[in-house]
Amino acid sequence: MCGVAAIYAYHYASPEVSREELRVVRDSMEKRGPDGRGEWFSPDGRVAMGHRRLAIIDLSENGAQPMKNADENLIVSFNGEIYNYRELRSDLQKRGYVFKSHCDTEVLLHLYAEKGEAMVHDLRGMFAFVIWDNKKKALFMVRDPYGIKPLYYADDGWTLRAASQVKALLRSEKVSKIKEPAGIVGFFLTGSIPEPFTQYQEIRQLPAGSFLWVDETGPSLPKKYFSIAAIYSEAQKKGEKWDLDRLLEGIREALRESIRYHLVSDVPVGVFLSAGIDSSAILSLASEDKNDLHAVTLAFEEFEKDERNELPLARKTAAHYGVKHHTRVLSRLEFKKEMKQFTESMDQPSADGINTYFVSLAAKEMGLKVALSGLGGDELFGGYPSFKDVPNMVNALSLFSNIPFTGEAWKCLYSATDSFFNLPAPKFSGLLKYGGTYEGAYFLRRGIFMPWELSGILKNEFLREGLQRLKLQKRIRQTLSPDPKTPFGRVATLESSFYMRNQLLRDADWAGMAHSLEIRTPLADSELLRTLAPILTAVGSQNRKKLLADSVQNRLPDEVVKRKKTGFSVPVDQWLKEEASAGEWQKMPKLSKPQCHWSRRWVYTIYKRMIE
Amino acid sequence: MRILALVTDAFGGSGGIAHYNRDLMTVLASIEDVEEIIIVPRIAFKSRVSTPPKIRQKFAGRNRFFYALQVLFCLLADGPFDVIFCGHLHLMPLAWILAKLLRKPLWLQLYGLESWDKPNFIRGPNVFDAALVTVISRYTRSRFLSWSDIKPEKVKVLPNAVSDRFQPGPKSLQLQERYGTRNKKVLLTVGRLEKEEKYKGQDRVIGLLPRLAEQYSNIVYMIVGDGNDRSRLEAMVDERGISSSVIFVGAVSDEELPDIYRLADVFVMPSTHEGFGFVFLEAAASGLPVLGGNRDGSVDALRAGRDGLLVDPDNPEELLNGMKQLLENGKPNSDAAAVFSFSNFRNHVQRLVTHLP
Repeated sequence: MCGVAAIYAYHYASPEVSREELRVVRDSMEKRGPDGRGEWFSPDGRVAMGHRRLAIIDLSENGAQPMKNADENLIVSFNGEIYNYRELRSDLQKRGYVFKSHCDTEVLLHLYAEKGEAMVHDLRGMFAFVIWDNKKKALFMVRDPYGIKPLYYADDGWTLRAASQVKALLRSEKVSKIKEPAGIVGFFLTGSIPEPFTQYQEIRQLPAGSFLWVDETGPSLPKKYFSIAAIYSEAQKKGEKWDLDRLLEGIREALRESIRYHLVSDVPVGVFLSAGIDSSAILSLASEDKNDLHAVTLAFEEFEKDERNELPLARKTAAHYGVKHHTRVLSRLEFKKEMKQFTESMDQPSADGINTYFVSLAAKEMGLKVALSGLGGDELFGGYPSFKDVPNMVNALSLFSNIPFTGEAWKCLYSATDSFFNLPAPKFSGLLKYGGTYEGAYFLRRGIFMPWELSGILKNEFLREGLQRLKLQKRIRQTLSPDPKTPFGRVATLESSFYMRNQLLRDADWAGMAHSLEIRTPLADSELLRTLAPILTAVGSQNRKKLLADSVQNRLPDEVVKRKKTGFSVPVDQWLKEEASAGEWQKMPKLSKPQCHWSRRWVYTIYKRMIE
Repeated sequence: MRILALVTDAFGGSGGIAHYNRDLMTVLASIEDVEEIIIVPRIAFKSRVSTPPKIRQKFAGRNRFFYALQVLFCLLADGPFDVIFCGHLHLMPLAWILAKLLRKPLWLQLYGLESWDKPNFIRGPNVFDAALVTVISRYTRSRFLSWSDIKPEKVKVLPNAVSDRFQPGPKSLQLQERYGTRNKKVLLTVGRLEKEEKYKGQDRVIGLLPRLAEQYSNIVYMIVGDGNDRSRLEAMVDERGISSSVIFVGAVSDEELPDIYRLADVFVMPSTHEGFGFVFLEAAASGLPVLGGNRDGSVDALRAGRDGLLVDPDNPEELLNGMKQLLENGKPNSDAAAVFSFSNFRNHVQRLVTHLP
């Protein structure tokens, strides 16, 4: 896991790239790659590539980046892991390519030489990389199917700058700091900034599952090569019937394969362990393949005598599989102490990330560089309440979405009544406006603020511009194309394309990197999805999480399977109330109502600290 | 490829936009793939104008309605077209509808001021889209992207090119005689003197002239260009009693302009609203040290300070020191002519054309 930086002065009027600028951008990502740094400048001074390395595969100097091919016409800077690199390598060797190292980076160079942009279809893993093709005088930028690894670019019209982090690009004096209303409004509405926006107008995220060419005219439009909706749509067409044994066997084999790939490493690997099914299943399957596994669990002082305390069950699971277990209990005091460092590490504003930040800290304290996480399990196996709520809401309310103005009328009525009666959950005001469609109902389920609540927080002009440019409903609807048809497929697509991509995976990247820890997500894997989507779409109304638990050969402890889903709780609410220094929200009448959800206060707090 | 170009003015027009359009159309027509360009200008000219090969320019429509009719007529008589070129943001509604109806790619060209803020005809969400938007500078690009939601990857910078007529050379004795600039230190600004274009900054220079004269007793300021703001500037000069140090040259013919540049020692234009400012290129190509404002398209023309000195135009001290610095030891910069050459311009246009869908 590493940090990528590239600068291309593509326009004829652009001055040559400043070496100092590249180094500043690259070295601001030191924590992403503490083990090494490298740079490459084209002889004409128009292209610069930089790299910070966290060595995990082939720890020798042979793996140093940016890496060149033999004739020095291709240069790559790469962040991530290509899990199937061994197969790709031997295939390329058969075709006559000579390898100097044992690392996955070199595979990218030769695979590109062999296949050009079509190489993206062969890659399994989490990756973001930039290849300079000297013959084409073009940069080729790619991001993995799920968007696990980030890649941002800032184009000023003369020069394109790319890096693994927004904050790295900001270190360049030449990158504009003008705010992007769509990004900031998106943060309030959803708790994270929907890609391709960032909080800055000039900086864009390369969308997940896309690649981009930058030639002498600048960047072209990103081209999508992977669509989660398309996989669920295909899966639905197959309509296969599976008997239970074959079904469990299918799930088990697919999971084992994915986990085996995700264990590829030349350094020790850990597992984030909670009391839930996903991480327990990963631990179980990983322990079949690896002996020296370490499990890490995060707990909170506040939950000590509470059902939200995951520690006792995690302990039991670790003992069950005979794995070394490390626990870390976080107190309010420590949270307070770490708060500044936490927001400084946060690359883009996020309503979450606390848990990942601190569990990564714990993993680092143990000396780990790599950890597996159960992230993606709820999206793949339908574990969230949204898998029931969203289709139910659409069924109940679709009638209203066909009657014009009902939604607006309800919203007005609600707001009028609210001022007298202090009604709960402001989301109710959007019920009829949004509830009748999948994109609307999903927004209601996941949204933090309703658009009309923001007028007291953001300036009206800024808010209007932001909403117009963001077009959130349209953006959500577009991810459902081609239509996955089944309610399960639709919600799985929405969860994977919004909440998981913009929130969970982004948080896992910056929060892990803050502690130089690579977080791997065997349940968010494009090949696993291809295999499991037809199986899990075919099971109809069965409890898919139960199937996951049952598929694990070395059965999970009963308590884990039967435990009611709580989600990973963090006592932020309590901290926000007790911590005077985090009290900006108390000045906002909307947020100081006792029934206000903590996530709204937290989003506002992050806004005050990171954006305003 | 056949192109229908809707423009305000091109051949026969005066001013920066017409100049740019002429250059762009001429270069486009020189590209092998381009068969023909039909230009429909919005502003009428009295006389018939000549155009380069492969370009035909139609007569202008008298008002908006007749203009639209003229364009429709042109479609029927001269079509089909492969690309619709829209040479001004205000022609966008018509061009956009045409491109939609014909299902052809739309190419929008933007210059400066007109595209910096959301225009009145776009209320609510911006529905207009284009396959390609070329803008004259990075500043205009950034301002345009701040209100338009056309994808930024489609918005490309295509700066002016400078003609090789502008080169360093000896001062014309005849012109020195005419304007009395022999043995003088000459500051020069070239730009229209329009009330709505007050931003060019001649008044800022006039205001500092007495202080400059303390150090340079032989200083003169040549103001080239004409317009309805001239009387205000003249009054300023009279008020300060410096009429002997300021020369209002008025409008200058294209033929004479290169020699006018060569009369000067330093070119100054501390402007605040420049789309690009191609006069900077002409001055630099003529071998003059150049000073411009640091907050608009001038930054591109001076290549972010590499080809000239950028100052805060609203900071008199900075401007004064900048002028002194250039008068004292300003170095001519030859890079501008090489970078903003017609061959670079043409190659870039060719690459952009191949990217059109």
